[in-house]
Amino acid sequence: MFKVRMADAKFLKDMISAISILIDEATFDLTSDGIKLRAMDPSRVAMVDFEWQKTVFDEYVCGEAMKMCVNISEMMKLLRRTGKDESVELSLDEKTGRLKIAIKGKYTRTFNMPTLEAIEEEVPTPKVTFNVRAKTTTEGLREAIEDASLVSDHVRIEADNEKMVMQATGDIMGATIELKKGSDALLDIEAKEASKATFSLSYLSEIVKAAVATSDIATLEFSTDMPIKLDFKQPKEGKLTFYLAPRIEVE
Amino acid sequence: METEFRALAELCEKLEATSKRTLMVSLVAEFLKHLRDDEVEPAISMILGRAFPRWDQRTLEVSWATMSGSIKRLTNVDWKDFTKAFSKTGDIGAATKIMFESSRIQRQATLFEKPVTILEARRSLEAIAETSGYGSRERKECLIETLLGEVTPLEAKYIVKIMIGEMRTGFHEGLMELAVSKAFNVPHDVVQRASMLTGDIGEVAAIAKTRGREGISKLQFQVFRPIKPMLAQTAEDINEALKEHGGLTAFEHKLDGARVQIHKAMNKVRIYSRRLTDVTASFPEIVRLTREEVKASEAILEGEIIAVGKDGTPLPFQHFMRRFRRVHDIEEMVKRIPVELFLFDLIYIDGKSLIVDPYVERRKKLKEIAGNIPLTRQIITSSPREAERFLGEAINKGHEGLVAKKLDSPYTLGVRGKRWFKIKLSLEPLDLVIVAAEYGYGRRHNWLSDYYLAARDSESGEFLVVGKTFKGLTDEEIKDMTRRLEEAAIKEEHRRVVVPPKIVVEVAYNEVQKSPKYKCGMALRFARIMRIREDKSPEEADTIQKVRKIYEKQFEKKAIYR
Repeated sequence: MFKVRMADAKFLKDMISAISILIDEATFDLTSDGIKLRAMDPSRVAMVDFEWQKTVFDEYVCGEAMKMCVNISEMMKLLRRTGKDESVELSLDEKTGRLKIAIKGKYTRTFNMPTLEAIEEEVPTPKVTFNVRAKTTTEGLREAIEDASLVSDHVRIEADNEKMVMQATGDIMGATIELKKGSDALLDIEAKEASKATFSLSYLSEIVKAAVATSDIATLEFSTDMPIKLDFKQPKEGKLTFYLAPRIEVE
Repeated sequence: METEFRALAELCEKLEATSKRTLMVSLVAEFLKHLRDDEVEPAISMILGRAFPRWDQRTLEVSWATMSGSIKRLTNVDWKDFTKAFSKTGDIGAATKIMFESSRIQRQATLFEKPVTILEARRSLEAIAETSGYGSRERKECLIETLLGEVTPLEAKYIVKIMIGEMRTGFHEGLMELAVSKAFNVPHDVVQRASMLTGDIGEVAAIAKTRGREGISKLQFQVFRPIKPMLAQTAEDINEALKEHGGLTAFEHKLDGARVQIHKAMNKVRIYSRRLTDVTASFPEIVRLTREEVKASEAILEGEIIAVGKDGTPLPFQHFMRRFRRVHDIEEMVKRIPVELFLFDLIYIDGKSLIVDPYVERRKKLKEIAGNIPLTRQIITSSPREAERFLGEAINKGHEGLVAKKLDSPYTLGVRGKRWFKIKLSLEPLDLVIVAAEYGYGRRHNWLSDYYLAARDSESGEFLVVGKTFKGLTDEEIKDMTRRLEEAAIKEEHRRVVVPPKIVVEVAYNEVQKSPKYKCGMALRFARIMRIREDKSPEEADTIQKVRKIYEKQFEKKAIYR
């Protein structure tokens, strides 16, 4: 049995929206402690690691541990219909394999959608030794990335103990965005050694744009030419972390 | 630990760079030694430019259009650059490498990136081969792009070469047998025999590695695994064959068709070409015939399939080729170009190999089980006059000539020796003039090595092309010829130069065919240059009228196809 309720539907909508930028079909792990999801995008360039403890929900019932796979863009269509001060209830009918989504507010509507065959593949956590750890406001990070996106489709991120610099070079224009330690955007930075890596802006801006709705503080961890880890601090007990592989020079 | 594909690509690069055979063999032997057991066969197939072992009938079915489309999308370069890179190197793989190097200054990595291994490359090739049906082109493209997207330019060079089946490293199967022998400490002749029996050196090597010499010695025939046929040397004439075979020998008609190997197990029949390709689908009537007539539950037979005219006389080879490897409208072609099977050898029957049995014994057994399928006509004689008469009869019936087979000879798989001789009435060589030449491919890409040969029209004085060949000249002669032709060039178009008719060469060939390819309507089959006739001027060259006469003479004995 799986049945949960959330008083503020927007909370769920934003999270599903963040997950939907990387994957079409999401296999959730449902246990008595909460729900989890870890998945890579089809090209295996980026990964999302998501977790909500049961305390995030206002009501949480999960009998036996199970996997539930749904088409996430279809689910998003339904959740987009939620408005301000509305609540949402998810319940899985194990007999029919259909997921019921009840949105309650001014009036009540109950949608149902099919669940799909769960993907069994276990995605490991990338093993990276991070040399840089930077704490930013999510909004500040979003702004910086939006600046870089104006001129190019990729950005080089460089950091030392004082600052983080984003360098974007396009065909015609270029941009340098400097975030100083202790500024409104860059709250803190530690670098075991100065590092730099280049990332695709299409991935990066999608991730940050989606995550900004769920989180105020982001922690970036990276090393030279290694995947970057972007952790978006959640207001309640849970996590939303993305990993993104770099673009690398061909030797 | 799995071996990376990169190691294989680097090995091939070293092979390509040298022409020293002993060095090649030791490089490959050293490489083979360090492979895992399950990597041996895939690695050997790939080094020889094959996606799969030779007996395996799976094919990638990837057209150049598909492949080039994928390269274009991955590299995102101007296609003119590819054409340029190709004409510079004369090699698709090398051109691909240049494209990959120049375009991918940066590439997107994936999260759990690890180098492609030999086994992963094989799995990708399998996935490509197994994709068929609706939408398969898109799925194949996707698989190709995933594979090529994960590799270095050097690896891409060899993946493309393996996919199109042209390695051009100069490392051929014979050298591979030496390398396998050296790597796994098994005598060369044992490796060679096993390779012939199984038809695949890769599998032999895998057995050599795991079970050693003993395992290899135990290898036996398997039905539906084609084997390399025994080959015949060319004898000058009947007397040479008789002399070499000790004064008494068997002569068989040599038919002008396709030599095939027929494998039968119970009701299942497959037909393989001389090059071990499965051609079963092209000959449904031969399958039926074998099933009905051959009295053995398991057998490997050899024979010749020829096309016959309405009156039963053989049709020229080129008509027959319209049947071969054909996959569409087969039943229609069965009616339009009827074929006939003549058997001449029996290699294996009901669990027993006959290869060490003498020829006469095999032929006797063949006769017993062939049912109503005719055997090639044969006489056993010590008389040169009788043999000459038999040769005359063969030619009169429209056949190619005779094969002389030593009576006590075993069936030596894949060997071209003196135990079998072919004897033909040869066509006289022609003196032809070089009028144009093209740059070659691979090793020869800087040399004008492909020559257009022309005969003089005695009426108009014009030189008319009757054939093209890259065969016959030595490397030194080609280099020298390249210099001469480049100096004389009056026009250069793409990779071809046109020269004034000046250099005369003596050309041998097997047949004059009708051909729409050239203005004169004829073409030489298997033309090869015998020597350069510095002593002859173009005016002394043979005429197109003479070529036409030779063409017409060939048909006096053959049925005319209508």
